[in-house]
Amino acid sequence: MDCNGDGGNGGVPASHAKLEKLIIDTDPGIDDSMAILMAFQTPGSEVLGLTTIFGNVTTKDATRNALLLCEIAGRPDVPVAEGSPEPLKGGEPCVADFIHGSDGLGNIFLTSPKAKKIEKGAAEFLVDKVSEYPGEVSILALGPLTNIALAIKRDSSFAKKLKRLVILGGAFFSLGNVNPAAEANDLDGVYAYCWLVPLSQSCSKTGLVPRCRIYVESPFSRATRPWIYGDPEAADIVFTSGANIDVVGINITTQVQFTDADLLDLRQSNGKHSKILCDMCKFYRDWHVKSDGVYGIFLHDPVSFVLLVRPDLFTFKKGVVRVETQGICIGHTLMDQGLKKWNSSNPWSDYSPVSVAWTVNVDEVISYIKHVLLTP
Amino acid sequence: MSPPIAAAPPKKIIIDTDPGIDDTMAILVALRSPEVEVIGLTTIFGNVYTSLATRNALHLNGTKLRIADFVHGVDGLGNQNFPPPKGKPIPLSAPAFLVQQANLYPRQLTLVALGPLTNIALAIQLDPAFAKNIGQIVVLGGAFSVNGNVNPAAEANIFGDPEAADIVFTSGADLLTVGLNVTHQVMLTAVNPSLMTYTEGVVRVQTSGITRGLTILYNKQKRFGEMTEWSDKPAVKVAVTVDAPTVVRMVMERLMDLDS
Repeated sequence: MDCNGDGGNGGVPASHAKLEKLIIDTDPGIDDSMAILMAFQTPGSEVLGLTTIFGNVTTKDATRNALLLCEIAGRPDVPVAEGSPEPLKGGEPCVADFIHGSDGLGNIFLTSPKAKKIEKGAAEFLVDKVSEYPGEVSILALGPLTNIALAIKRDSSFAKKLKRLVILGGAFFSLGNVNPAAEANDLDGVYAYCWLVPLSQSCSKTGLVPRCRIYVESPFSRATRPWIYGDPEAADIVFTSGANIDVVGINITTQVQFTDADLLDLRQSNGKHSKILCDMCKFYRDWHVKSDGVYGIFLHDPVSFVLLVRPDLFTFKKGVVRVETQGICIGHTLMDQGLKKWNSSNPWSDYSPVSVAWTVNVDEVISYIKHVLLTP
Repeated sequence: MSPPIAAAPPKKIIIDTDPGIDDTMAILVALRSPEVEVIGLTTIFGNVYTSLATRNALHLNGTKLRIADFVHGVDGLGNQNFPPPKGKPIPLSAPAFLVQQANLYPRQLTLVALGPLTNIALAIQLDPAFAKNIGQIVVLGGAFSVNGNVNPAAEANIFGDPEAADIVFTSGADLLTVGLNVTHQVMLTAVNPSLMTYTEGVVRVQTSGITRGLTILYNKQKRFGEMTEWSDKPAVKVAVTVDAPTVVRMVMERLMDLDS
């Protein structure tokens, strides 16, 4: 308990000139829930709606959880549009219920939401909202990118009309990002991995699969999360769409953790949603202990939200990013850092660069997240 | 100031090469290093076509060494237009020569691979015991968490034959790979391994898609029994840092000594 959660140094902007229109594409998900509740609690953000996708849970359960989160936030009026139940290529997605619990919210089994999803599907909702406010809408994409890719396919001007697309996903090599003197750690930082993990039962019913999705191995710890592999084809479409994209990979998000002490601060605070978040986090935290030996939780989605509202807490590199859709490295995100002029064209040529988060001000980001979550 | 010269008998090495200007330097450094005894060269496409590589290798050797058959100016040597060399390639194919020599000197040979890994993959396929018989394979190739040099994903030697590279990396041989993240001066690694630090893990090579030729190292302990394409494969060593000033000094010393 060396932390006084209400330190007041959270750096929340005092005022916003105007509301930031935001749609969150999400697969809630415990840390998604944190990010969503943060968005609702951030005065400068106007949440136009949530769109749902498979990932941590099935798309159907993501819709239920999104509706629940709107109710918990006291915003049952916010539209929830259900997204694709499967990746672009088809096939049943597997879900990370061993990380987030079978309800996706840490096995706390809330009662069903009263509100209903809207009639429109996610892609249609995205296209309509972005067309309604061209140049004004930002999207925070916290799950596989299927819905965004479908919106791009549906409306060829969608990417250009978006204000900003913040993507949580991928792993980007970050040579020199970590303390170069600490060799062991440096090694961890230098290599990004893609790998496959075993599946939840529901995925192996065909009996074919000792693999189902790639998790990206964290450079800094052994966290696993399935973003890009959830739908690599969609991710490649989105990254090469020409939209104004900021992407934050696991090499950044795993640097930002809530320790058990931080969680205790949250539990003991009068934060608006601290009790329910702590209840959710218990399962998530226990999974981290079991699988990573980490006493605490990674804040992947909250960090992505911070990147949306406080990009000044990050540094970026620009480069063309593509996603491998075949072979043993399926799901691998690869950025051309632009250090070399290529003699001939290659698969990275002629696409617009995106901004890849390269470093993060860890203390300030944690401070910001705590400030929001601990605010009554 | 000179690096220590091993008291042990010189290490026997075979160089698999596509000379090439930087390969040429590497070969000359090896020939001038008392710590190693070059017992043969095998040639492979890469900088130049294989036939030209053979010719160039014969130039570099004089006639003493054996060359087995299988880009840097049209002649691969900076367009110097040397007359044809006097030596002839031996009648054995490169993979067969590698297998023969590995059997002759079991676990004593260091194979330094400066080009695509085709010959070595073929040797592994020719003789299942080759990976165990060879002492160490030092590979110049791969780009570990940095962009490649033929495209953002791939390094040229791996891109030249990704399937062969994957075979070699997963063969179980004692293998050290020195990628673009470290240096091109791989030869001195064979001469003096202490000039380099490395990590260990399983390396696989992507053989399809837009990242064909991508080398991915997985250097973590596997957990909760997950099956991955990296599971149950033997580990190799991947160079991480190099003592660049010492390496450069040694290269200079050994190349400038040539005229003396």
